[in-house]
Amino acid sequence: MFLFTKKQEVLDISGIKIGGQPGEHPTVLFGGVFFKGEPDFEKERKGIQNMLDLSQKTGNPAIPDFFIKKEEYMEKIMDFIEQTLPKNYPFSIDIVDPSIKINALENLGERHLLNRTIYNSIHVGITDKERETLKQHRPEMAIIVAFNPKDRSPDGKIEVLANGAHLTDKGLLAIADEIGIKKILIDTAALAPGENSGASIAAIPVVKEEYGLPAGCAIHNVVEKSSWLKNFESARKIVDTSSNVNIALFGGNYAIYGPLENADMVFPTMAWQDILVSEYMDNYFGIKPSDNHPRRKFF
Amino acid sequence: MKNEYYPWGGDFTVCKPDSCVAVVLLQIEYMPPSDVAIFGPLRTENIGIEKIVANVISNPHIRYLVLCGEDIRGHCSGSSLVALHKNGIDEQHKIILAPGAIPYIENLKSKAIERFRAQLKIIDLIGIKDKAKIDKKIKECIAKKPASFGEPYIAIRIKPEASVKLDDKRALHSRIVVNYMGKIEKRGG
Repeated sequence: MFLFTKKQEVLDISGIKIGGQPGEHPTVLFGGVFFKGEPDFEKERKGIQNMLDLSQKTGNPAIPDFFIKKEEYMEKIMDFIEQTLPKNYPFSIDIVDPSIKINALENLGERHLLNRTIYNSIHVGITDKERETLKQHRPEMAIIVAFNPKDRSPDGKIEVLANGAHLTDKGLLAIADEIGIKKILIDTAALAPGENSGASIAAIPVVKEEYGLPAGCAIHNVVEKSSWLKNFESARKIVDTSSNVNIALFGGNYAIYGPLENADMVFPTMAWQDILVSEYMDNYFGIKPSDNHPRRKFF
Repeated sequence: MKNEYYPWGGDFTVCKPDSCVAVVLLQIEYMPPSDVAIFGPLRTENIGIEKIVANVISNPHIRYLVLCGEDIRGHCSGSSLVALHKNGIDEQHKIILAPGAIPYIENLKSKAIERFRAQLKIIDLIGIKDKAKIDKKIKECIAKKPASFGEPYIAIRIKPEASVKLDDKRALHSRIVVNYMGKIEKRGG
């Protein structure tokens, strides 16, 4: 467990705090909504409520991470966000397709939802049109994915943040600054086994000491891509869940943990891990847990 | 897995080493005929494509690359692979006219890409999930019995990532150290 000498930013979105020294604020947990297949609104409505209940019980803040895979789903998903989430509750939108990203930003702007939006994500594939749209429809917070296709080490991740690694005209942090997004989370880009998957964890303390920004990743992606685990079906969910503790142990602030249905396993596991980190950080470095920290809930 | 013919490893199944067909699976549960050389899934439009290129040019018997199934939305990995074969890469290492989100080839030399474009013919069955149709096309390719392309081309990763020697006293990272108390600091203050 570590203490960073660099001042650690604590960012706020609609009252949810992300960042700080290890043991200060609980790990924020992003659960994927409409993660696979056709959207099942009734199932996901229950899943979100369950995640919010778990968040209340453990103290770990929950962020629904909405996947929008097809243009035709857009309006229904936006309606669902407005109708299902508590008033002013934050959420993230997780979109790969550049044209859907642009339309989603415009849609969020029209609905006055951008002040609750975490944009997932900015990366080296950002297009000029996306940059322009982001300037016009600026989300409150954005995740920058530090994926460097050439160098997957922590140094490579720093490189794309600092100077774009020749893939963009400037570093991704400078691009976010130019757009005017002030609240930035760094995703250390978890890659498949065989592609330096461990670097996503090792990069967390490096990013935090370098920039002081909240950091985390979707380490569950590594589990999804470990096809050999299919031969150990009963262990697969446990591995998937427990992979997230690496993030908190290395000082990270948030975990994108996969589909909502993993929430029952992930929330208590991460609360347990946060208590473990907090006890040491408090006793050794004097870092006090925040009011909603799992350690305050259960002890 | 790794195999002497396929030194880059990856998530693939090796069948008949001297077959002329490799099959790329895009979101499809499909077992190609056992007389193909190799088959496996493609997920990403950058690292995934690099692996496929490296692993097919190392086996000169492979002359056809069959892509089948449904392309991955946003990533467009299959279409980006087709674009690489058709157009190559630009000075920024970006696949020319690739529709994917991050279609960069960073770990292969241009010679390896040229070899890929020369050695392989793409059989673009993107959008087709009918197994009988895919089987039929594969059989047609195999029946053509094209000659081997010659010597294997073993692609070398352009930039090996930094590694730590045993006598290196760093902890965590070259620029970041952690002291015995657990405080993380920048090296040199």
